[in-house]
Amino acid sequence: MRSFIVFRKTMREIGRDKWMLGLTLAFAPFFVFLYWLWFQGGSTVYPIAVINQDEGVTLPDGSLYNAGNEVIRAIQAVTYADGRPLLKVVIVSDQAAVETLLRDRGATAYIQIPLDFSRTIQALRAGDRSVTTAVTFGGDLSNTYYMIGANMVLTTVDSYVQGASGQKPLINYIEKPMGASATRTEFETYVPGTLIFSVILLIFLASMTVAREIETGALRRLQLTPMTSFDLLAGVSAALLLVGAASSGLSFLTALALGFHSQGPVWVAFMISVMAGLSVIGLGLVVASLTRSVSQAFVVANFPLGLMMFFSGVIFPMPAVKLFTIAGHVVSPYDFLPPTHAVMALGKILTLGAGLKDVTYEITALLLLSALYFAFGVWFFRRMHLRAA
Amino acid sequence: MPEIVIQTRHITKRYGALTAVGDLSLEVYAGEVFGLLGPNGAGKTTSINMLCGLLQPDSGDVLVDGKTITDGDAAVRARVGVCPQNIVLWSHLTCLEQMQFLGEMYGLKGKAARQRSLQLFRDLDLEEKKDKLARTLSGGMQRRLNLAMALVHDPEILVLDEPEAGLDPQSRVLVRDYIKSLAHRKTIILTTHNMDEAERVADRVAIIDHGQLLTVDTPEALKQSIGEGDVLEIELNTDTEQAMKALRPVVAGVSSNNHTLIIRTRNVVEVLPAILDTLHDLDVHPGEVRLRRNSLEDVFISLTGRRLRE
Repeated sequence: MRSFIVFRKTMREIGRDKWMLGLTLAFAPFFVFLYWLWFQGGSTVYPIAVINQDEGVTLPDGSLYNAGNEVIRAIQAVTYADGRPLLKVVIVSDQAAVETLLRDRGATAYIQIPLDFSRTIQALRAGDRSVTTAVTFGGDLSNTYYMIGANMVLTTVDSYVQGASGQKPLINYIEKPMGASATRTEFETYVPGTLIFSVILLIFLASMTVAREIETGALRRLQLTPMTSFDLLAGVSAALLLVGAASSGLSFLTALALGFHSQGPVWVAFMISVMAGLSVIGLGLVVASLTRSVSQAFVVANFPLGLMMFFSGVIFPMPAVKLFTIAGHVVSPYDFLPPTHAVMALGKILTLGAGLKDVTYEITALLLLSALYFAFGVWFFRRMHLRAA
Repeated sequence: MPEIVIQTRHITKRYGALTAVGDLSLEVYAGEVFGLLGPNGAGKTTSINMLCGLLQPDSGDVLVDGKTITDGDAAVRARVGVCPQNIVLWSHLTCLEQMQFLGEMYGLKGKAARQRSLQLFRDLDLEEKKDKLARTLSGGMQRRLNLAMALVHDPEILVLDEPEAGLDPQSRVLVRDYIKSLAHRKTIILTTHNMDEAERVADRVAIIDHGQLLTVDTPEALKQSIGEGDVLEIELNTDTEQAMKALRPVVAGVSSNNHTLIIRTRNVVEVLPAILDTLHDLDVHPGEVRLRRNSLEDVFISLTGRRLRE
């Protein structure tokens, strides 16, 4: 009952702190919108610098054949499954221009088509297997987009050469995408992480809301009542969870409005977001336990926030580091961060079309971690702030 | 024999090398207004925090109705209402909302908490502000609301930490009258560094300094303990030693504080010419001359050798 009284009071306070509420609710949907703008509503287009030195050849019928030009057309024709362009050609004249372009990130990779490119293909067509030529490529290998751009352009050149020379490939490689991943835009693949990002941000609201009670002395006043630490923290957490759920809901709606298509049930994904929210609030209580003021809480909350942002797969996929195995599931150090399971589960549901049953392991792990962090938060808060000093 | 409601037995609280409260033993009787008088930093707030269970003594016991207060003893703590020295309000709640919230946290039903809140608003002249956010109130009104919140659950024991601090004159009179109206219905413990406040409101006063209890008694008994009569203060522009020596045959109770002679005697009007003649003979020219009644300040000076605000 006292938890409900605290919940009602916290909701009133949150509702009247318009700036805080507005920013908390709007931040994640705004982030989704920014991602959508960043990818222009779809996926990344990789600019490729091309130095075409091919001189071309005159065919027996008198026509001019320039394989270099055809390769450029082939590169321009590479698209995503939804028809949007994947590679963009930037024609440059020499190596100096290429280097400037790569330095300025105007291109992710370059390719240099040699003088004898057409002659070589023409000779191969004629059955001369002794000829060869060199196609040079390169770029800034520290650029994360380089590998994708270079790989795509080389595959395109190789495919063109095989087709144009009439040679059959030694081995046919057949790609079988999982679920609907082939048709997913890059924007869509980032949505699960963005949704969890909205939940992670709750750590600020959670720690600062509780720290405010400490800083103003209101907690001392409440300590004189028969209230228990659970009454206080359950009430505050319930209110925060509601705000977190609203923020997640708005993020989902924003993503859907911007063209995101879920392959699995959205309600399961939403439920997982809320569960992740509970564990983040638990961590927020731990942060509040260590602080005595709102500004301290803000500073300290950045540490778990950083951990959850960079080591739970929200931004970068994490490599599997085996600590031990539970029921066939490899447990990594990151698995102790609740968002890890939420990101995995959301990826499976939203991208691969998984259902509730398919994410049982992630849901169980999330529930256990949520209970653990919340219980630890309550215990630690009581120990640090609600005992007579 | 009056009923003892709160008793401290040799309580001590240390913060590192500093002893905030040392070996404090007190008894507070049912229905009395008990004043803890002392300068800032004397250990008053630390003492009352231990009295209401917010602070655990390093040694000694605090008993409420003979029961030791232990950490987590919610039933005992709920019998106490505390009005902290700092204003502690929820700035985003209206006056009524925060009173109701606190009342309900103490276990009152919603309707009862509302009625009790409205009654307190009437008593403390806050009725018109009940639907205003606490942060929009003036400082004096916030202090009155701070006091109302200590009373929302109708506690048997009321602890007021510097209740008149920061109050405007109008609010000070209102709060003082209200505290007086509660006297004998509730046990009230108030801390203050204002001797006038302690003298006007408290039935008994404990004077503490540097965490030590110096004395405890009724204000009248304390004043009598340092001598009866009026106090004549004469400011001198020279050292007081010579004047004190010369005046001792004329009046018995002569002391000094800085450049002020403090003369305690029953018949001031009769001895005043002799005092002035003596000073004239010494070629000492008095500055300001003040005549006043004995106060708790004098008690404090006699016990510590310095003024309360020094």
